[in-house]
Amino acid sequence: MIPIYMKELRAYFTQMVGYAFLAFMLFLVGMMFSFNNVFPQSGRFGDTLMAASTSFMFFILVPILTMRLFSEETKHKTDQLLFTSPLSVAQIVLGKFFAAFSLFLIGVGLTVLFPVITSRYADQGLPVSQIVGSYVGFILIGVCCIAVGMFISVLTDNQIIAAVATFATVWVMFVMDALAMTMPVSAGASLLFVALVILAVAGVWYYSTRHWLSSAVLAFIGVAVAVGLYLHNNLIYDAIIVRAMLWFSLYTRFGVMSLGILNLADIVYYLSFGALFTYLTMNVIEKRRWR
Amino acid sequence: MIEVKNLTKRYGHHTAVNDLSFSINAGEIVGFLGPNGAGKTTTMNIMTGFIAATKGDVMINGFDIVAEPEQAKAQIGYLPDTPPVYGDMRVDEYLSFVADIKGVKRTSRKEMLEKIKQQVHINDVSRRLIKNLSRGYRQRVGLAQAMVGNPRVIIMDEPTIGLDPKQIIEMREVVKALGKKHTVILSSHIMQEVSAVCDRVMIINKGRIVAQGTPENLSAELTKSSGKIQVRIKADPTQIREALKEYAVIRHINVLDSREAGTTDLELAGDEGADIREAIFRCMAKHSLPLLLMKSMDLSLEEVFLRLTGDMRAEATGYKGGDSE
Repeated sequence: MIPIYMKELRAYFTQMVGYAFLAFMLFLVGMMFSFNNVFPQSGRFGDTLMAASTSFMFFILVPILTMRLFSEETKHKTDQLLFTSPLSVAQIVLGKFFAAFSLFLIGVGLTVLFPVITSRYADQGLPVSQIVGSYVGFILIGVCCIAVGMFISVLTDNQIIAAVATFATVWVMFVMDALAMTMPVSAGASLLFVALVILAVAGVWYYSTRHWLSSAVLAFIGVAVAVGLYLHNNLIYDAIIVRAMLWFSLYTRFGVMSLGILNLADIVYYLSFGALFTYLTMNVIEKRRWR
Repeated sequence: MIEVKNLTKRYGHHTAVNDLSFSINAGEIVGFLGPNGAGKTTTMNIMTGFIAATKGDVMINGFDIVAEPEQAKAQIGYLPDTPPVYGDMRVDEYLSFVADIKGVKRTSRKEMLEKIKQQVHINDVSRRLIKNLSRGYRQRVGLAQAMVGNPRVIIMDEPTIGLDPKQIIEMREVVKALGKKHTVILSSHIMQEVSAVCDRVMIINKGRIVAQGTPENLSAELTKSSGKIQVRIKADPTQIREALKEYAVIRHINVLDSREAGTTDLELAGDEGADIREAIFRCMAKHSLPLLLMKSMDLSLEEVFLRLTGDMRAEATGYKGGDSE
């Protein structure tokens, strides 16, 4: 893992990507710092991080960070070197992930200067727990977005496509809250939604096993149970779409963290989100090689 | 050393490799020969664990490439058809990265890399960025990469493609030298290349081995039955036909074109396996027709290859222009 990590980190700084990333990140956070802390004379640096992440921070910066991770290797056929070397797929994927994450952390580390500067002028001290909470949330969202970006990068050998797809995906992840509010809340619509999810699961099952009988049974039983529950007590279907989307939203949990409240559940959610996409990345590579 | 059993690779309905089996002993230099799209690259990619086979097993030095990929891959150095180099790295930087991922010990590294650079003649570019190197140098850096870590098996896909004649000769020298210590497998669609360096040739077409053996055996075995003799005689065709009439052993007379003024080229053949050279000599001597040239129409490896890979047009011309210098 270490050689890949070192190579990737070095590549960020030999290809300008690293400098571009850091410059853009500092520019954005600096701008938000001016709007949220300097002009209103506020010490709440959490607001800055919040504003930075909801504005451009992740949709634009993460694609810069992740678009090249695998796309470039595939394009230049250097993936043949990596995947025929004695390294395992996990070592390669994790090496790349941590390299991108480290660059992100370097950027985050540089922004610590801002609250340090404000602390000199804060008469009543800074809201430290809120700032720390915001940083934790910010870094955890970074983990999720980098994992998603890396996953998209392994799907295509075109860096531009990887960047645009990552941009769109991360953007949807952030506007999930707003999207959730536009969803229908009636029990009927919820039932339809649940049924579609069950069918999708059955579809994935069929795609990976090619066994139509078990997938048909799975779909049938799932839909039957869903309809049965609906007939039995349709209150549990109330606004299920909205609830599901809010549960998945990266931003809702970030809001809680920025208040200085660190729930174990939220941290586990972010970490497992990142782990899931890292795992999917490994699987895409494995599948390409072992089918 | 390498054991390949019933290897099959399908892409949808297209079968790239079809039930391929062979084994390669330690220290052999083996060449895969075949037209483009014959399945050479696919086979190599499967052997190195880059892609998976649909069916079949590959054992490298006793390690299964699917079940024990780490141990099996540690035995192999691979130079794919495009050298897998990073343009933004310097040659030295790149080679030490490769040494890292192959787990070469730091103590022996410097010495090893120096030796390899000397062997493939890239000492003078070791400080340059790879993206600024010419195709030939990149290819050599790619080969150096395959040699890092002293793997037992070195697999090269079209190692001389894109090189100039001088570089091709140098590359052959390197391959021959490698063959003394390593098991080498290389692929090519160029005949001279394979016959120049390989101990054994496998001709692959449409994902199957159509023939294998030493380069000499291959051409000898496949041309044994032809028994045709080409002659050049200073006379006109009717004279020659008249003279040959008395010699019943010469069954088949085919007049080819005339390449020198006043001479005729012919293709002569007797019964299956019969040696008609003496009869030709006696006949011509008796009629005092000057016999300027006589040679057996052996197929060159090139023609063998074309015949085996089923190019009908080439087969037809293979006999007529059958110069096998």
